[in-house]
Amino acid sequence: MTPSGARRLTEPVLGVLVFLVVLGIWELWAGAADSFLVPTASEVAERVWHVWPTSDFLSQVGQSLKRYAVGFALATAIGIGLGLVVGTSHAARRTLEPILELLRAVPAIAIVPAAIIVLGPGDASRITVITFGLCFPILVNTAEGVQAISPEVRDTASMLHVGRVERMVHIYLPAALPSIMAGLRIAVSLGLVLVVVSEFVGEQNGIGYYLVVQQSEFDYPALYAGILFLGLLGYGLNRLFLVVERRVLAWHYGATGD
Amino acid sequence: MRQVNVAGWLFVVVVTLLVEAGVRVFGYESSIAPPSSTWRALVEELWSGSLSGKVGATLDAYLQGLAIAIVIGVAAGLLIGSSRTLLAASSVVLEFLRPIPAVALIPLAIVFFGPFGIAANRFVVAFAAVWPILVNTVYGVRGGDRMLHDVARTSGVGSTGRLLRVTLPAALPNIAAGLRVSATIALLVCVTAEFRTGAGGIGAYMERQHFAHRIPELYAGVVLVTLLGFGVNVLLRTVQRHALFWAGEERATQ
Repeated sequence: MTPSGARRLTEPVLGVLVFLVVLGIWELWAGAADSFLVPTASEVAERVWHVWPTSDFLSQVGQSLKRYAVGFALATAIGIGLGLVVGTSHAARRTLEPILELLRAVPAIAIVPAAIIVLGPGDASRITVITFGLCFPILVNTAEGVQAISPEVRDTASMLHVGRVERMVHIYLPAALPSIMAGLRIAVSLGLVLVVVSEFVGEQNGIGYYLVVQQSEFDYPALYAGILFLGLLGYGLNRLFLVVERRVLAWHYGATGD
Repeated sequence: MRQVNVAGWLFVVVVTLLVEAGVRVFGYESSIAPPSSTWRALVEELWSGSLSGKVGATLDAYLQGLAIAIVIGVAAGLLIGSSRTLLAASSVVLEFLRPIPAVALIPLAIVFFGPFGIAANRFVVAFAAVWPILVNTVYGVRGGDRMLHDVARTSGVGSTGRLLRVTLPAALPNIAAGLRVSATIALLVCVTAEFRTGAGGIGAYMERQHFAHRIPELYAGVVLVTLLGFGVNVLLRTVQRHALFWAGEERATQ
């Protein structure tokens, strides 16, 4: 076997091995500390087994996922739409830049109370917060992608009298797609953060609310189980997105050769 | 010195005036603070000291958390980036920890560090901020020029010297790009933690105003924290442009 072939085999094994060692250290350390604050890995695993399949937990997850999906879809539409406008028109960019820079600097938690006061504590206020936070990375990446299109492409399009809408849909959008996908990739992880943030205030339901309840009821293994779930959910969503991205950008990889 | 974007800032003023008029004409004052009342509340609360002291508490947790993240992120990134074995060894643990949304750790941090004081906030800020810095440092190190390394080695520069004098400067543009991503997410996490712990800072202030239904004061907090975030963005961009003039603006890898 060649050295690089051996490497390809041993490297994943090494990663898993280190992970198991860390888990083992946690198990021994938590067992020795014997503190109610730090459950052992096996206690958490047992809790995961009992908590995750319950209808209460699954319905909280369902609420959160619904908000995540709707917020993500709205932010994608708004972000790409505005990004195309800002990216193609110099005047629009000049005019909108300061207000977008200011709005982008608003930490999403800051608008949660205001959203709840205006829209009530239901889905509308949470989705507004998620959409608000997610549309900026998408917008910025769309605009940058459009701006990076070579002048030759722009000039050719205008010389051939391609209509404004057609130009957007058939030229600018595909050309900016790799950059747009980069923005969406940021949004995939950020969305989960915003879901939890939006559910921390004016408690009703959702996975963020679930965490708060476990904290106040001192059920720490369940709290760990909830956090673990969010981590795996984030990992799964990222993986899923990579698959979609590879599909959507297959032509791009083919064209650029990487 | 760049030219001031007159049209853009004029647009901000116009939008502010439109919001003011809209809220007053349609009678939404009981649920939305018009900009004029927000401004008055902001000035009063800053003057009386009930808000100005909060800025210091927020900055305290925020900057300390960021500093911890920079030290850990850069150090770990340099080590992991320069050794294939370490990269492989740490990959599963890091892939496991990284997707955990830092805000989800807030309830746990409250339990661990107690609800009072900034220790809990500092911890979650550091956890949130460390990943973009770490990942971008690793990319910066791995993307570095092998030739520079070999030249340094043949010139008799030791491995520590190579790490600090060749690898680190080469990775700095990536580290700076990662830091900018970290700075934004860390502020969100910091204010959210304050909101939940109530341990002082602008987040705790806003939580109290929300609870007391003092809407102009609540909005004053939003404006202040936004200006803080805006200031941090401008500062980091300026530093990046001047201190790392050779690199241009490096895009962060997520």
